[in-house]
Amino acid sequence: MSTPTLTKETETQTGPAAAGKATTEPNPALRPGPGTTPAARLRRYALQGGKAVWGAGAIILFLLLWELGPAYLAPASTRVFLPPLHEVLEALGTLIGNGQLQNHLAASLSRSASGFGIAVVTAVALGLLVAWYGALDRFLNPLLEVFRNTAALALLPVFTLLLGIGETSKISIVAYAAFFPVLLNTIAGVRTVDPLLIRAARSLGLSNVQLFQKVILPSAVPTIFTGIRMAGTSSILVLIAAEMVGAKAGLGYLIVNSQMSFLIPDMYAGILTVSLLGLLVNYLLVGVERHFSRWRTAVGSRTA
Amino acid sequence: MTSGTGPIPKISLQNITKKFTVRPSKDSPEGAVLTALDGISLDVSAGEFITLVGPSGSGKTTLLDLLAGLTKPDTGQVLVDGREVAGPGRDRAVVFQQYALFPWRTAAANVSFGLEGVGSDGKRYSRKERAEKAREYLELVGLGGFEDRYPHELSGGMKQRVAIARSLAYEPDILLMDEPFAALDAQTREQLQTELLRIWATTGKTIIFITHGIDEAVYLGQRVAVLSSRPGRLKEIVDIDLGDRSGDEDVRSNPAFVEHRHKVWSLLHDEVRRAQEAGHAKIQPDGTAPDETRTITTGKAA
Repeated sequence: MSTPTLTKETETQTGPAAAGKATTEPNPALRPGPGTTPAARLRRYALQGGKAVWGAGAIILFLLLWELGPAYLAPASTRVFLPPLHEVLEALGTLIGNGQLQNHLAASLSRSASGFGIAVVTAVALGLLVAWYGALDRFLNPLLEVFRNTAALALLPVFTLLLGIGETSKISIVAYAAFFPVLLNTIAGVRTVDPLLIRAARSLGLSNVQLFQKVILPSAVPTIFTGIRMAGTSSILVLIAAEMVGAKAGLGYLIVNSQMSFLIPDMYAGILTVSLLGLLVNYLLVGVERHFSRWRTAVGSRTA
Repeated sequence: MTSGTGPIPKISLQNITKKFTVRPSKDSPEGAVLTALDGISLDVSAGEFITLVGPSGSGKTTLLDLLAGLTKPDTGQVLVDGREVAGPGRDRAVVFQQYALFPWRTAAANVSFGLEGVGSDGKRYSRKERAEKAREYLELVGLGGFEDRYPHELSGGMKQRVAIARSLAYEPDILLMDEPFAALDAQTREQLQTELLRIWATTGKTIIFITHGIDEAVYLGQRVAVLSSRPGRLKEIVDIDLGDRSGDEDVRSNPAFVEHRHKVWSLLHDEVRRAQEAGHAKIQPDGTAPDETRTITTGKAA
């Protein structure tokens, strides 16, 4: 797969209009876009700024409510359980300062990364096999359906009983939870390969292995990555829950332990970290997914 | 490659019959056996441009699949250079109606697709040679400078040009074209028809061109083979003589063209009506009817 440069994208946006008949001139004339005069540029910046404020508005309102709500809206009895934002941020600062948060984060990350990694490798491999061999699919599909529809957390006690409360059980349940989104998307990705492309490749005399490597896999990659992104989200979710039940470190442990020790701001600091981590992971995986499905979407998908 | 009409025709279809078992549907729960092609015999000499017309369901695509080696006939033989076709090979290239470009590859990478790996003659092209060939063939189809474009950045006509370049790049003797211009607008189609004649003249390929357009068939072909409605039989072969077609004049309005066109039209007219009355639709090579949800025969088929 070649990697095109970004400069091409701007060039091709003017493409279709001029593309019709131009057979020899590769580069249609680039029209200068609107907004080259200073005033127009200013207006555009103002518009973008306005959009940014509007986009962040809900978050800002929420944070304001969090800061002011406990003091002015909540009854005195619940105020203890609902510290304002600045107290939570202070607690977060202290946790970072004494290195506790880093420890918990590292514990959680290494667990979810190993579980997630195991899941991705095994699920992609099995998914390719199942999609390729119809008989295997018919054999395994009913069982896979049963497992897929069994909530991962329902199996947490089983994992704990069989594998103890150590790392093994946590990594296993994360792998379990991440396994199915990847598996199902891999199967779907291979199944939805355009049959015409397969015909075209066959007419070129490709062997099964070549067909797989050059047509089916590249074609399925975007769908597989959608599954990987979903798996990333669910692996964090399940991990936190698993850590809440039995662990000596990790973000889930931090949250539950703080609650039990009545360190309420610490608890919220843990929760905040979890949601930031989730956002970050999702953002990264969306980026990776977009990178691999670039050819699938029209160039127009702008990120302004 | 032999030039002219030698003793052995380039392509020889000998009494081809092909049947399909249609999968059970609501109307026919048992599933029926359909005869797509019935006793087709046809010789095509090297360097010839022959067009194939027929109503829907006359087995045009099936015939092309047989020539491409994607399926095998039930009876009869398909011979290329006197040897029976055993499967797909790089001596034959297929151009599909829906372009069939690989969307994750650039135009150049699509063109060089058929050059990757070891060829039938044991030759292996280096990356640089492949890029060179891709550029050369994109140039030939009039797409020089578009090497790095992805298919979604190209118009329909340009996509089909890339597909033609891909088929030509590994230098097959025979080009099999399955309604390649049917999805294009009239203007682009006419332009590509002219281009195809030019490419045919420069490369000397043997071309079998399937179409449902009578004008297209008469304009492009040296001979037009008319197929009957299902079961597909060879109804008649019309020799086309339009003189020199490379000039700028409007061939389509000259009396010889009109006469040939009318002849093919009359031959086809009854067949089209018969096909419509019978409600024939396209049957996919794997025996699925188009209205059913499609399934992919990924590996083992054909």
